Amino acid sequence: MLRNTYFKQLFILLVILINTSCEDYLEVDTPKHKIVSATVFEEDETAISTMTGIYNELLNADFSGGWNYSVSVLGGLSSDVLEPVNPNSVSYAEFNQNEISPDSEFNFYLWSSTFNIIYMTNALLEGLSQSEGVSEEISKQLEGEARFIRAFTYFYLVNLYGDVPLILSTDYEQNSLIAREGQEQIYELIIDDLQASIELLENTTSETRTRADKFVVTAMLARVYLYLGNWEQAEFLSSQVIAESSKYELLENLDEIFLPESKEAIWQISPVGRGNILTSTNEGLAYVGSSFSSFKISDEFVNSFNSEDKRLTSWIGFYTNATRSFHFPYKYKDGSSISNITEYSMVLRLAEQFLIRAEARAQTGYFSGAINDLDKIRTRSNLESISGSDLEINQENLISLILEERKRELFSEWGHRWLDLKRTNRASSVLGHLSDSWEDTDILYPIPEMDRMKNPNLTQNDGY
Amino acid sequence: MKNNYSRLKWVALIILGGILFFLSKAATAATSNTAFFQQQLISGIVSDQNGLSIPGVTITVKNSTRGVVTNLDGEYEITAPANGTLVFSYMGFKTFEVTIDGRSEINIQLEEDIASLGEVKINAGYYNTTERERTGNIAKVSGEEIERQPIINPLEALQGRMAGVEIEQRSGISGNAPTIRIRGQNSLRTGSSNNGNLPLYIIDGVPVNSSPLVGSDLSGGTGIDPLNTLNLSNIESIEVLKDADATAIYGSRGANGVVLISTKTGKSFEQKTQVEARLYSGVGEVSNKIKLLNTPQYLQLRNQAFENDGVVPDQTNAYDLLLWDNDRYTDWQEELLGGTAAITDLNLAVSGGNETTSFRIGGSYHEEGTVFPGDFKYHKVTGGLSLNHKSKDEKLNLNLSMNYGVDNNNLFGSDSYISEALSLPPNAPQLYNDDGSLNWADLTWDNPLSNLQNSSINQVNNLISSLSISYEFLNGLTFKTNAGYTNLYRNQKSITKKESYRPDIRDRREHLSSERINKRKSWIIEPQLTYSVHIGRGNLDALIGMTFQESENDNLRISGEGYVSESLIGNLEAAEAVDVNEYLNIRYKYTALFARLAYNWDQKYFLNLTGRRDGSSRFGPNKRFANFGALGAAWIFSEEPIFRDHISFLSFGKLRGSYGTTGSDQIPDYGYLDAYEATPGPGGLYPTQLTNPNFSWEENKKLEASLQLGFLEDRINLGVSWYRNRSSNQLVGFPLPSTTGFSSIQANLPAMVQNTGWEVEFSSLNISTKDFSWRTSFNFTLPETKLVEFDNISQTSYQNVYRVGYPLSIALLYNYNGIDPETGLYQVQDINGDGNFSYEDRTVIEELGRQYYGGISNNLSYKNFSLQFLWQFVKQNGYKGYFAPPGNVSNQPQNVISGIENGTLQQASQNFTAFNSYFFASTSEHFISDASFLRLKTLGFSYDLTEKILQNWKLDGFRFFLNAQNLITITDYEGINPENPGVETLPSLRTITGGLQINF
Repeated sequence: MLRNTYFKQLFILLVILINTSCEDYLEVDTPKHKIVSATVFEEDETAISTMTGIYNELLNADFSGGWNYSVSVLGGLSSDVLEPVNPNSVSYAEFNQNEISPDSEFNFYLWSSTFNIIYMTNALLEGLSQSEGVSEEISKQLEGEARFIRAFTYFYLVNLYGDVPLILSTDYEQNSLIAREGQEQIYELIIDDLQASIELLENTTSETRTRADKFVVTAMLARVYLYLGNWEQAEFLSSQVIAESSKYELLENLDEIFLPESKEAIWQISPVGRGNILTSTNEGLAYVGSSFSSFKISDEFVNSFNSEDKRLTSWIGFYTNATRSFHFPYKYKDGSSISNITEYSMVLRLAEQFLIRAEARAQTGYFSGAINDLDKIRTRSNLESISGSDLEINQENLISLILEERKRELFSEWGHRWLDLKRTNRASSVLGHLSDSWEDTDILYPIPEMDRMKNPNLTQNDGY
Repeated sequence: MKNNYSRLKWVALIILGGILFFLSKAATAATSNTAFFQQQLISGIVSDQNGLSIPGVTITVKNSTRGVVTNLDGEYEITAPANGTLVFSYMGFKTFEVTIDGRSEINIQLEEDIASLGEVKINAGYYNTTERERTGNIAKVSGEEIERQPIINPLEALQGRMAGVEIEQRSGISGNAPTIRIRGQNSLRTGSSNNGNLPLYIIDGVPVNSSPLVGSDLSGGTGIDPLNTLNLSNIESIEVLKDADATAIYGSRGANGVVLISTKTGKSFEQKTQVEARLYSGVGEVSNKIKLLNTPQYLQLRNQAFENDGVVPDQTNAYDLLLWDNDRYTDWQEELLGGTAAITDLNLAVSGGNETTSFRIGGSYHEEGTVFPGDFKYHKVTGGLSLNHKSKDEKLNLNLSMNYGVDNNNLFGSDSYISEALSLPPNAPQLYNDDGSLNWADLTWDNPLSNLQNSSINQVNNLISSLSISYEFLNGLTFKTNAGYTNLYRNQKSITKKESYRPDIRDRREHLSSERINKRKSWIIEPQLTYSVHIGRGNLDALIGMTFQESENDNLRISGEGYVSESLIGNLEAAEAVDVNEYLNIRYKYTALFARLAYNWDQKYFLNLTGRRDGSSRFGPNKRFANFGALGAAWIFSEEPIFRDHISFLSFGKLRGSYGTTGSDQIPDYGYLDAYEATPGPGGLYPTQLTNPNFSWEENKKLEASLQLGFLEDRINLGVSWYRNRSSNQLVGFPLPSTTGFSSIQANLPAMVQNTGWEVEFSSLNISTKDFSWRTSFNFTLPETKLVEFDNISQTSYQNVYRVGYPLSIALLYNYNGIDPETGLYQVQDINGDGNFSYEDRTVIEELGRQYYGGISNNLSYKNFSLQFLWQFVKQNGYKGYFAPPGNVSNQPQNVISGIENGTLQQASQNFTAFNSYFFASTSEHFISDASFLRLKTLGFSYDLTEKILQNWKLDGFRFFLNAQNLITITDYEGINPENPGVETLPSLRTITGGLQINF
């Protein structure tokens, strides 16, 4: 009998123990290094932080950061500007020789980083749409900025890969099996996003050049219209930016252009986003010549400069040591600074807007206006003006002059040369000379095999 | 949180209240339980076969809990019923039962039982069993075998000693964490921060997080093992639980097996105070080197490359030919890895006790140099305390164990140092200039010693403590509580000096420092009730208990840069810029209810039921709980009359089997939480993962059958086990295309990994005479891992890693087509003929895992001499060591020249095509070779001074010993480290130590 009461008491004790413990006991607090998503969009400050996060991450994202896997570097290699210092480094050589393997890791980094940024913009847009705590003013501004970044990212995707998946949500189940959309649909999204962004950002002017405002978006849209051959819109929009002369001007001193908040800059990315002690731009790290340099400027390109051209001395460096010597892009001088930001990574700058307008005007037959814009860039670099020369101008050679000028002005920046060759259908004629293995299908990078294996609906580009 | 803490307090109060309540009740109960037999006092002396008295023999009255222990002179006194039976038991002797028959003096001579199974106690975690009675598969290595090995990590000591336990020491760098796999790889997750294949470690009843501490020095990716801080001389035994019967009571953490480490305690109560001092020292060196080209051979190959390519050597592409001295020769392996590491170890322990309390207190110091030039060193200091107390009536037991260790690993930061020792051209310049400064040879090379300046000091402080209190408040019913607390603090300081860079880029570099701090704190409370009762012709053991566990991990990584002076590097205050690279704060909570019910009938039939209900905070709110359980059974058929009477040579025979489920919650914390984190850049937040709140446990179903036989009075023992573990519901980072924004999401995959295998354990006492004995034991494992099922694998990135129906450790390779006679270069087959080489062309499948492995050990003793040695053998394939394509600026194995001649190697060339051909061929079967090895893992020799001398010197023991590790490695493998083929790592050291041990 005695024993029975013990067991009863014991049983009760156990039941108490079990009930008090389990469910509640396992609740763990959110760790100090995380914030639950729903909380993030409860107030303006944290919501703004998610946008700041995107700007920060643009420096770390491979396609946009300016480092070895960026559009700037890989696009430069694919065109006739950059070459690998060591011709045996297969990973770069395949871009340089336009023989990119679908297994290329660098191509995968480039590709996948765009979708990470797109995810962030979609997450922000979804967060805002479900939020009740963010003020309307901030909500509009953030939506404008996020849609700009999304369009900006898609611009490079569509130009590098052609048809690409159109991703407008964070739903991974849907996005993991998504198929590619035609380039027209992608451009539709880009224009839609940029136009909406201009409206949303109508009343905001950014105090810094590292956040998108109305003019940043306008400058981007001008470029998009140029690529689409909508010359009127390209001229109209670039004129709007050029007209904002209190904010933007062409700097006479070429060494000042890439400095933080330089007046030529429309939009820059600050190295602050790297978040460590190193404060150089990635372009500075990648290009400034040293015994570890991976990239050089092709000799043909260096030789194409007029010896009077100030860009030859200001923007092109020469490195030499016991075993090798080569030219390198020297727009960014700082390849090693510590806790001292001396340069920002340039994304959009006024010189490009002049060149956009020149090209748009040349295309529409407004030659004098085009020459006027082109000369702004030429005379700054100490070249003789076209207007002052006795050159006979027709549309064809004027456009050629503008494209040559774009090459010399914008080299090593954002793959301009590669995209220019493609959009003007000159890639085969120009690059075909340089390599026996050139094929017309090389104008598009392959869709990375890694993703094609995970998503059977992703088709491959021709020629791969 | 506050709420949870207050709840816990409440729980603790209830437990305490419970104990007090039962204590008071039990006290009254005890008096009412008097025996009705006539009691009498019996005394006597217990001695061994030689007539020497044995202290510490346990004498119990059969079917009661009463017992005494013989004193130093072997004498005992016990009160027992006149018609009762006394049971005499002592480790290493056969248990002896004698009926009292009214006698008052009973002197007993115990018979030595060298091969006794029944007396080998086995720790099964929550309960103890014996080798004879166990229903589960538990392997054991004794402290004696561990102590003999002059090494740092206790797991390494198990190499070659246990069937079914694969331990790979991935590198010979001191402190490096070995890989351990108990019965194969169960989880597809193998990443260093998300490894689903770690066993559960329990030290003195306390679970310990032993995932390696990843760092940034030579130990690189593999990391530092926190178990290094244990004192090897203070380990009583290591048991490894393998099958469902043994592991299911650990539920969600038992999938990969359980490693139980018990530390030493005071040997017995009522002993005189004893001191044990142990000291050894010796040297270690690299156990394996590769034969590489000498200078003329190297230059010949280089010149050949230029000739083949039609390229004129110039200072850029042929600095080794034109700028370096063509008459120099340096054996870079000797120069960079050829040092000897000095080893010193000191150990001191004092133990003693009285009637009710025993203790053991000890400390140790271990120091180990490296084979690298320069002053690098590993050392550790440990302290341990064990305290046992029992009440006079033996109802209350209290055990306290504390182990504290501090180790300090002084290395340098470099990830290429080992491979440089193999690839540097033999005519590379001298390391130092005449003035003693590093030679940079006009910037034509990176001086390999430049990295030695970048010190990396890793310190780990580790406290593991446990307290267990038990009270038997009714006959057979015991309440027990285990409590444990662990606290690990790790600090790694790495510096990079400007001077370690090439002189031409120094002015653009800064002094750097990087500091990692890891804190791991955990506590656990496990209240338990055990009940043991005699029912029918057998014994019923029941156990029910609960677990509350909480741990907190903090990781912090800070770097500093821009120090003005070298001497200030690491002093963050003096850095121009300080940056926090990582901050993680992780909490983990775990709770469980577990139970065991075991019954044996007539010491013949055994049944063991175990179960656990587990909850873990690593899962989303709806998926936190799961149940696990197992059934184990054994039949000692040799006890059946038919066997006992008719097969006399069979002294023991047992059939055993078990089936059950375990799980694995070894996944990163907070995987279910949809959250933002701070971006590296200031002021920003960003999503860092896709979230899935619905993932759940990996499930591991284990089946085992086993036969254990003993012959000739257990002089020969044989155990054969077959197992099949199936891990399904694989919890992995499910790979996603990058269009989702990320590369994976935590999810359960419809995939199943199956591990099957045979394990054979054999031991024999070959010769046993008064002066000479020879014992042999052998273990052998034939494992097979197979990916049985994986739906839609082709849509995941695992497509390129695994194949359904094949083992997990496979390599997918190109089909090697020999050498193109025209170009002299390797060719691999373009299977789909698309002109490109991609995974679709990699159709050849080679298995790289262990095909079989095991060990043979022999113990010989003659009078006071004894000799032990263990051969470890592993049969496996692996990638050949990787070298640059022949003809490049890189040294090559000596057989390259003949290889090119006889057409097994591609010709010397440096051009792009040659590089590509070589690159593709290096992922073909041509680059796979046999990487099996046979290794004399340990060799120990010892001499004990004779009794006579000991008595003169008033000592209890005095032993000289010599121990060697990895003395001989026999292998056909051509790379540097057959234990970790295909990777350039430092092979395990060959060490020889000598020392002495004094007991008094």
